[in-house]
Amino acid sequence: MPTPHIQVGVDTGGTFTDFLIRDGERYFARKTRSTPDDPARAIIKELADITADEIVHGSTVATNALLERKGARTAFVTTEGFEDILEIGRQNRPELYNFFAAARPSLIPRKLTFGAPERILHDGSVERELTDEAAEALARRIREAGAESVAVCLLHSYVNTAHERLLGKKLERLFVSLSHKILPEYREYERASTTVVNAYVSPLMDRYLRRLDQQLTASRLRVFQSNGGSISTRAAGHSAIHTVLSGPAGGVLGAAAVARSAGFKKIISFDMGGTSTDVSLYDNGFTYTTESKIGDFPIRVPMLDIHSVGAGGGSITYLDSAGALRVGPRSAGAHPGPVCYGEGDEITVTDANLMLGRLNPEQFLGGRMPLDIERTRRHMTSFAESVGTSPDSLAKAIIQVANSNMERAIRAISVERGYDPRDFALLSFGGAGPQHACELAARLEMKTVIVPQHAGVLSALGMLSADCVRDFSQSTLGRNVNEVFTELEARASREFAAEGHPQVHFERQVDLRYEGQSFEITVPAADRDRFHDAHRKRYGYDHSGLAVEAVTARIRAVAPRDKIDLDAPTQAETFSSVYIPPGWASRGDAVGNLILTKP
Amino acid sequence: MSGLNLELEVFRNIFLSIADEMGIVLRRTAFSANIKERLDFSCAVYDRHAETIAMGDHMPVHLGAMPFSVAEALRSHTIDPGDIVILNDPFRGGTHLPDITSVSAVFTADDPEPAYYLATRAHHADVGGMSPGSMPLAREIYQEGLRIPPVKLFRHGEIQNETLDLILANVRTPEERRGDLAAQVASHRIGERRLLAATEKYGHGRISRQMDALKDYTERMMRVRLQGIPNGEYDFEDFLDDDGFGSPPVRIHCRLTICGDRALVDYSGSAQQQRGGVNANLSITVAATMYCFRCLIDDDAPFNAGLLRPIEVLTKPGSVLDAQPPASVAAGNVETSQRITDTLLGALQKALPEKIPAASAGTMNNLSLGGIDPLTGLPFAYYETIAGGMGARPTADGMDAVQNHMTNSLNTPVEALEHLYPLLMRRYAVRRGSGGEGKYRGGDGVIREFEFLTETDFALLSDRRQTRPYGSQRGQPGQPGQNLLNGNPLPAKGHFSAGTGDRLTIKTPGGGGFGREREMEP
Repeated sequence: MPTPHIQVGVDTGGTFTDFLIRDGERYFARKTRSTPDDPARAIIKELADITADEIVHGSTVATNALLERKGARTAFVTTEGFEDILEIGRQNRPELYNFFAAARPSLIPRKLTFGAPERILHDGSVERELTDEAAEALARRIREAGAESVAVCLLHSYVNTAHERLLGKKLERLFVSLSHKILPEYREYERASTTVVNAYVSPLMDRYLRRLDQQLTASRLRVFQSNGGSISTRAAGHSAIHTVLSGPAGGVLGAAAVARSAGFKKIISFDMGGTSTDVSLYDNGFTYTTESKIGDFPIRVPMLDIHSVGAGGGSITYLDSAGALRVGPRSAGAHPGPVCYGEGDEITVTDANLMLGRLNPEQFLGGRMPLDIERTRRHMTSFAESVGTSPDSLAKAIIQVANSNMERAIRAISVERGYDPRDFALLSFGGAGPQHACELAARLEMKTVIVPQHAGVLSALGMLSADCVRDFSQSTLGRNVNEVFTELEARASREFAAEGHPQVHFERQVDLRYEGQSFEITVPAADRDRFHDAHRKRYGYDHSGLAVEAVTARIRAVAPRDKIDLDAPTQAETFSSVYIPPGWASRGDAVGNLILTKP
Repeated sequence: MSGLNLELEVFRNIFLSIADEMGIVLRRTAFSANIKERLDFSCAVYDRHAETIAMGDHMPVHLGAMPFSVAEALRSHTIDPGDIVILNDPFRGGTHLPDITSVSAVFTADDPEPAYYLATRAHHADVGGMSPGSMPLAREIYQEGLRIPPVKLFRHGEIQNETLDLILANVRTPEERRGDLAAQVASHRIGERRLLAATEKYGHGRISRQMDALKDYTERMMRVRLQGIPNGEYDFEDFLDDDGFGSPPVRIHCRLTICGDRALVDYSGSAQQQRGGVNANLSITVAATMYCFRCLIDDDAPFNAGLLRPIEVLTKPGSVLDAQPPASVAAGNVETSQRITDTLLGALQKALPEKIPAASAGTMNNLSLGGIDPLTGLPFAYYETIAGGMGARPTADGMDAVQNHMTNSLNTPVEALEHLYPLLMRRYAVRRGSGGEGKYRGGDGVIREFEFLTETDFALLSDRRQTRPYGSQRGQPGQPGQNLLNGNPLPAKGHFSAGTGDRLTIKTPGGGGFGREREMEP
């Protein structure tokens, strides 16, 4: 597919909406305040003077609807006798040693939960038929209950879809999410949760996208997903589940684009903001996970594997009851913010950086917000005196503790997955990242740190570089895998063709395990024979004599776009403050990235 | 305060991530549903004194008891590099027979003495004995399954096939056991690799100092917390329904004495050891005690050996909380441990009425079953525990349908269960109205109904079928549980046979309520 002339990547964030505009060979970055009550307003205003051929948009509408519990009035239908499966979940309590932990939240009021008189068995045979009349009656009750959206998840629907399809037909006039379409994989709670989240957020997303589309008539609007690809607005409106967590995914894609053009094939991206930090691993290709959670809800659609920790520049330092220095998880947020913002009284990681001269008080946010270093110094000194140390040692210790939290996050996505971080460069962005990157890299014996020139709009850049991608999967228990692949590819071709992408290529992957295990490793289908190697890499051993079974077939359908070429620097942007410890050498590369190395 | 240790949190992160990673490997490479789906396992890191340094957030009942396994392995053997000792004998470091614990030592290059120890514990779905799933109602431990004293499964890196063969010859599902044991071994390998990498980086001396500091740190936290409890003696008693052989209710008693920053927990007023398997050994009693005190600390304190230093536990050998051979013990770990918790929390409730919830379900509702799978012609064995209601909290209702106190194992998904075993789930629901009334309501229990698709033997070890989870501050008790076969009541504990098409329904208890009911207030 030819790449359109003017393309725009738009990343709506909590505070700012970022734009990266590509006009032929040239790039322009823009930034404007977000308009949370209607995120479209900021976009339309900022793009008023541009006729973009294509816009790729990363939206937080779905995520916010979920986190703020502002989704659609959603009903849940499952097999009779199992109406409580969402409530029971996996029956574990959230915190082991806390009597006061909050109960699991629910998106579905109990009176909007319905049991369908039907039963399909694990081999797909029908034990109790869902009759047309029963389906009709159930649909009527659901409509009468005032549901706007419906999630349907019947037992074993991933092997036999008939009953879910029948209900889907009867519920046509509502917004319907069928579990065998959203996630045709076994384990009912996770499939139900994924389907319910989709049903809960999609109607809002759909309305939002329709509104935006109407106002951006001249442009083709596409939506960025958490798997790192984009989809049409129509598809996104029906399966908004694929867009939750898409914000961090934009950063990872942007990081990879920068790394590639700077000549790096293996990077760990490190995005440290005010309240949280996201890390992800790129090994000449992205890493994915199907085990995400948002809030308390498991979401099992494939996403870029991004590990988040609730620690950032705003994380608060304190001494606990036994006198240990702790950092986070509480955050000073934007208000009152770190001590140096002038209001808060609790010392944060940002204050420690400022104290040690790693943050330039005049250059914060491009000089728009000068920091009060004296205030920080006063607070740090009195805290340090109370524990019998110097303000500098205290500040250094705060940074160390924060870095050890970050180190755990990076280990989780590298060492725990069988990768050696020493083979990777650390690509650092986010407001606080570059102040920590070198010391963090040193902890992990990583020798190179990249601070990209486009750090401020990296997510928007990532969105701009995204291929059109959709993931399809199907449980294969007891079936011929190649048959399943053929079916999935036919389905993907149809759906892509309908969206105007005649050229699609497929990546076949398969989830394998030893017969009897129940955790799978996803490998390219062509590498089936290398499952034993993959198992050894990840877990340190293999059972080369045992039979291997295929559990899930996965198709990634990709309509590729021209790769972004970042040879031309964009207009000047402000770097965050970068801290370069002794022993590190720094240089700028041809496109304006800062490359730091430790010989 | 003296000598502020600014690095403590850094090292705590290192040790905890090692225990976590051991757990990830064990879970993901195990073969039985009980480990991979239900997470019935634990992993921990020990220092050179064999004292606990870090444990993953796994199973509370395992974690407090595992140091006894490490100690017993060391008493029985010299552990050399590449050795892995396994054991399950409740009278030599174990708890009940299905829990097989593995212990290894980690050596640094320049020291012939072990620098650290590692241990994993996993509940194996079958270790032989009189009933499939090895959770029978038995009179003696010999009936409960294969008893493994500390033996070396690996010697200098070489698997001891004679030992393994002996074990596999005595269990119903040998291939699954082989796979699960391999997963435990892999977990040791990962833990060792990570500990050695950390040692290379920081040096053994520094790591040892920080391990000591972490124990001191947790001890300080515990002492600070104890000082916040009014001095005094607090008594509480509660009961198990019976021992499964028609005994009267079995008394569990504790007298808690708080004195400054120390606590004495005296359980010697508890009943004598019983004929049925409700007997707990000392390690279980200590684990349950440790759990209760850990919950008093608000901060996410590291769970290590320092926690118990200010706490003394007294038991009477030969009692139900300090059982001696040849007592049967299958339910001690899973049922009696819950009642110990109820009892100690009941005493604490008198001291800290606004901090302690009412009684939770107080049983793990253990179901074990097996037979011959008609599809494969091979034996199958399955084990699960079922959630109940949480006791109401002083500020909130109890949660419905969750695992409480000494366990936090997951359920097996219905769709996984039906793929793996000749079982059909007919109902899985919250048992509405089973939580006790009160200002805050106790959480509701669960209803789980199975249909057997072939002739199946099953064993139940459950409790709170007669006695009820108590309410607090005038809250009402929760409903007791019920076991039904085709609608007819079954006893709380026992062995049963079911035919094709028979239905077993388990209704689990609700939690107790907290405070007087709202409508009763003037």
